[in-house]
Amino acid sequence: MNEHWTERPEGGGRFAIWLLLTIGLHFGRGVARAILYPITLYFYFRRPFERRVSYEFLQRAFGRPAGAWQVMRHIHRFASTILDRVFLLSDRFARFDVRMHGLDELTSRIRPERGVLLLGSHIGSFEVLRVAASERPDVKVRVVLDTQQTPALTELLHAINPEIRRNVIDASRAGTDIVLALGEAIREGALTTLLADRARPHEATVVVDFMGAPAAFPVAPFLIGSVLKAPIVLCFGLYRGGNRYDLYFESFSDELALPRRERTTELRAVVQRYAARLEYYVREDPYNWFNWHDFWNLEGFTGDAAAVRKPALDKPALADASVFRGVA
Amino acid sequence: MDTDTRNSVQSSTEQELAKLLVESLNIDWVKPGDIDAEAALFGGDLGLDSIDALELALAVSKHYGFSLRSDNPDNQRIFSSLRALSAHIEQHRVA
Repeated sequence: MNEHWTERPEGGGRFAIWLLLTIGLHFGRGVARAILYPITLYFYFRRPFERRVSYEFLQRAFGRPAGAWQVMRHIHRFASTILDRVFLLSDRFARFDVRMHGLDELTSRIRPERGVLLLGSHIGSFEVLRVAASERPDVKVRVVLDTQQTPALTELLHAINPEIRRNVIDASRAGTDIVLALGEAIREGALTTLLADRARPHEATVVVDFMGAPAAFPVAPFLIGSVLKAPIVLCFGLYRGGNRYDLYFESFSDELALPRRERTTELRAVVQRYAARLEYYVREDPYNWFNWHDFWNLEGFTGDAAAVRKPALDKPALADASVFRGVA
Repeated sequence: MDTDTRNSVQSSTEQELAKLLVESLNIDWVKPGDIDAEAALFGGDLGLDSIDALELALAVSKHYGFSLRSDNPDNQRIFSSLRALSAHIEQHRVA
């Protein structure tokens, strides 16, 4: 389980996902949902790595060994959210029952000359955020997305809604370009979104406690928020089965101060606070955990819990915003 | 010929930028005059990364009145050294 998530092969799963999305696109959600069951079985038997990740994670979350049924349920939940992406990205929201919680925490902070940094994670569905965004067409949205990570799937999703491409800040570009683009987005008053729970290899991380064990989290999202003096709001879109989603917003900081002298200590406290909120939502519904890699493996990250590793001019912690590597 | 040493000496515009760099990033353990004009500004001995580049870009925009843009295809060269960045600023500065 020492592979980093960016090194997982795309594998035969890509065809299954393509098939699922294509069927969803042409025959509708009902038909596509029926084939989620064979797809779940396929992944359960053909992807031993992800299967093991699921067993280990569910055991950690529930405090007792997980059964095959639970692991299949986990895979099924994940496949459901992948399928729903087709409909969420093409703005077909009517079929979904999305309950919003704390939307005001977000909207009250957006100003025309200064946007908000919205931090998502690989739990549940981040695309369900589009439902909230559709209610405020006046607010610009910018999404950090690594288009090189899963080019085939990115291509397919862009084909579904070409407009999305224009809102993407490509995380495969040089680090300086990405951070400058983030600065421009915030100054344009955009809702600027990135995922804050995954670090790439050689990226600056800090190790904090997460669900009872140390885990490495990227520091860049918080440093960027601090440098740009942008409010940071957290967003969690939990999938509840059927057509139901719960979309939670909560304010994280209005002006995060990270003075250079105390940065290491302060950053650790800030990231620990983020990890605690993430843990809260993960425990609320563990089947929404979609980090299909060994999240607690510190190899390749800083082993020294006191240090913030700071590699130079590397890509900041702008994880793949929409595409799951292991399956896609 | 010690051209290497001579090339690393800061010009007056480079001195101004080095001062801005140290002040805006609050790295007061670095003396502006000690920054090698030709050496890597980010990813080098100064220990600065892309987020520091963002902070510097904000300070440049305030101080010189023009913005370093994310879509400039020359960014890699522009941010490569104090000299390169200073030359770019001198070309575009408003203030």
